[in-house]
Amino acid sequence: MDSNRQGGGSNTWEIKPDSYWFAWRLRELWEYRHLLLRLVRRDFLIHHQQTLLGPLWIVFQPVIMLVMYMLIFEKAVGLSTDGLPPALFYLSGIILYNLFAECFSGTAFTFIQNGTLFGKVYFPRLVIPFSVVVVNLIRFGIQFVIFMTLMFFIEPDQLIQYPHRWIPCMVIAIIITALVGLGMGLIFSILTAKYRDLVNIIHLIVRLMMFATPIIYPISLVNEKFRIWVYMNPLSSVVELFRFGFLGQGTFTFYQLLYSAIVALLLNIMGIMLFNKYGNKLQDVI
Amino acid sequence: MSEFAIKAEHLSKLYTLGKVGTGSFRQDIKRWWMSGVLKKPDPFFSEAMESDASRIWALKDVSFEVKQGEVFGIIGSNGAGKSTLLKILSNIVKPTSGAVRGRGRMNSLLEVGTGFHDELSGRENIYLNGHFLGMHRQEINSKFDEIVEFAGIGQFIDTPVKRYSSGMYMRLAFAVAAHLEPDILVVDEVLAVGDAEFQQKCLGKMHDVSSKLGRTILFVSHNMQAVMNLCHRAMHLEKGNIVDIGTASRVVNHYLKRHQKIHRSQSWEQIEHSPGNSSVRVQFVELIPHVKNEGDPITVRTPLTIRFKFWNLIEGQNLCVGLHLFNSGRECVFDVCSVARNYERGLIEGHCEIPGDFLNDGSYYFSLIFVKDTSVELFYLEECLAMEVEDFRENMNWYGKWSGYVRPRFPFRMKQITTEEKVLL
Repeated sequence: MDSNRQGGGSNTWEIKPDSYWFAWRLRELWEYRHLLLRLVRRDFLIHHQQTLLGPLWIVFQPVIMLVMYMLIFEKAVGLSTDGLPPALFYLSGIILYNLFAECFSGTAFTFIQNGTLFGKVYFPRLVIPFSVVVVNLIRFGIQFVIFMTLMFFIEPDQLIQYPHRWIPCMVIAIIITALVGLGMGLIFSILTAKYRDLVNIIHLIVRLMMFATPIIYPISLVNEKFRIWVYMNPLSSVVELFRFGFLGQGTFTFYQLLYSAIVALLLNIMGIMLFNKYGNKLQDVI
Repeated sequence: MSEFAIKAEHLSKLYTLGKVGTGSFRQDIKRWWMSGVLKKPDPFFSEAMESDASRIWALKDVSFEVKQGEVFGIIGSNGAGKSTLLKILSNIVKPTSGAVRGRGRMNSLLEVGTGFHDELSGRENIYLNGHFLGMHRQEINSKFDEIVEFAGIGQFIDTPVKRYSSGMYMRLAFAVAAHLEPDILVVDEVLAVGDAEFQQKCLGKMHDVSSKLGRTILFVSHNMQAVMNLCHRAMHLEKGNIVDIGTASRVVNHYLKRHQKIHRSQSWEQIEHSPGNSSVRVQFVELIPHVKNEGDPITVRTPLTIRFKFWNLIEGQNLCVGLHLFNSGRECVFDVCSVARNYERGLIEGHCEIPGDFLNDGSYYFSLIFVKDTSVELFYLEECLAMEVEDFRENMNWYGKWSGYVRPRFPFRMKQITTEEKVLL
């Protein structure tokens, strides 16, 4: 007996009261890949149809942030950037943290936002948060073009001489960042559906975590006593890794990276398990 | 044919009214601390969970089997558990206990146009909706032209659906659903929306799917005519329990018997308490349908007799009685009256025959008017009898509402007077 209902090959199916922590049903998810791609497409069509600047908005926001950070933190306050070019230093942190924040807050409301849809049709619910992550990876890609353009003008040597350094660092940093956002989002999507009072916390978490992430400051600037708190944040070493990749300087160790990767994985395993276990039951609550 | 397509065994679904859990994080933490850590009795649990009033069995021990290629109807009044059953079959909610087994690919249509987005074009929505319903891209690609043609939206295919008329929107939504090709199709009351023509198209399509392609269909409807015509077998649910299951016509008739808003007779034994005034008092009114078996529903073919008795309290009054029939829209369908003549004091009986093949289907009620000297209203007994006239059709592929107040069967004949060759000559 296969509990996979609408999967292509299996002919018999069964619906039982229990839901399982480990019913991952990856094949079923694969069957719905077209839906995922359509949802990504829908997101871009909806957001950029009938707008003045269209997709330019995606780059507009980080550029404005960059200008503000440079004005306030570099010029007015005079915060150190570890001797790195401030524009690249700030922008790398901004776009990477944006990726995390969007993945997290975009998936944390999955059940609240799609309640009626989930009540009308069956499909693997994970398609929705996964599509959000894909959308945000594409947005990141667009913002990354700005970063690369700046790199090309400010530090062309690094770009040309060390592709074997920045390409793997970049890929690892992006994967871990997106996974941390997704994992946290999955866990919170279950929690927010059950406890509406947690909705308010999501945006607070996004803002507070930014201060514990080396975006406006380098880790080298943090007092030794407080460093442990910054390192607890799985995003810290990743941001530093990203900067190291492109600019050749960043404060992190292998074990800190390993820690981030493990946290990201655990968050996702927990999130998907909660999703499997409670996703169906939530339909009775929403 | 003996192979089952869906087999439900002892399905039950319990809903707890209000929220599952307490709904707030603080309360749940407190509850967990009290019961889980301190091992004290759970205050929330004992209050809310154990009182039966807040728990509702939407389905209770429901078992049935649908054979392959069968069209299976599910009927029942609101809150009978039909929607819950469909949601369990569609894997949207989990049953509390019991299991469903099935063979073959299944699709559910609990609404049409699931996942439609107003800002997107018809084309985008066809793909989006199709994918939500579990279609593959190649499947949609190959049927795309058919879908557009079925919906009849032609040149508007790249217009955002928010600019569509509601009719176009519905047609497009249904067109996608109509081109699903599952082995088992589960359909909720999607046909209740849209105009008669649209409903006709939907039901026709379902008829095609089942008869030509041999698909299994589970079908929930309030349209008894459609259930009777389309379904082989039917199930009647009431308050989560199966009341009746069997051939569609039997189950539907049984259901109608239970649910008709009937006021077949009224009588008043004592003259003091009977309706009326110092001139006339009514003793008894009755509606007698001439049906084959006692308790069969009244259909458009059934002849009816109205009988009544009343006391005439004034000697030698010139009386006539009028019978008014109203439809559910409170419009008077007819007004017939007896011949006026003088009556002596005492009990008077009357009856009026209404032939079969006269009224259209619908809800009706009767009123009696007592008139003196053919001009003065003595008494008006309003809404003394009520009935439902059910549709009855044979050899008919039209399932929409039959129009008209009345539905007589006048002699209507046609014959061919020439053939094509003669015209050409």
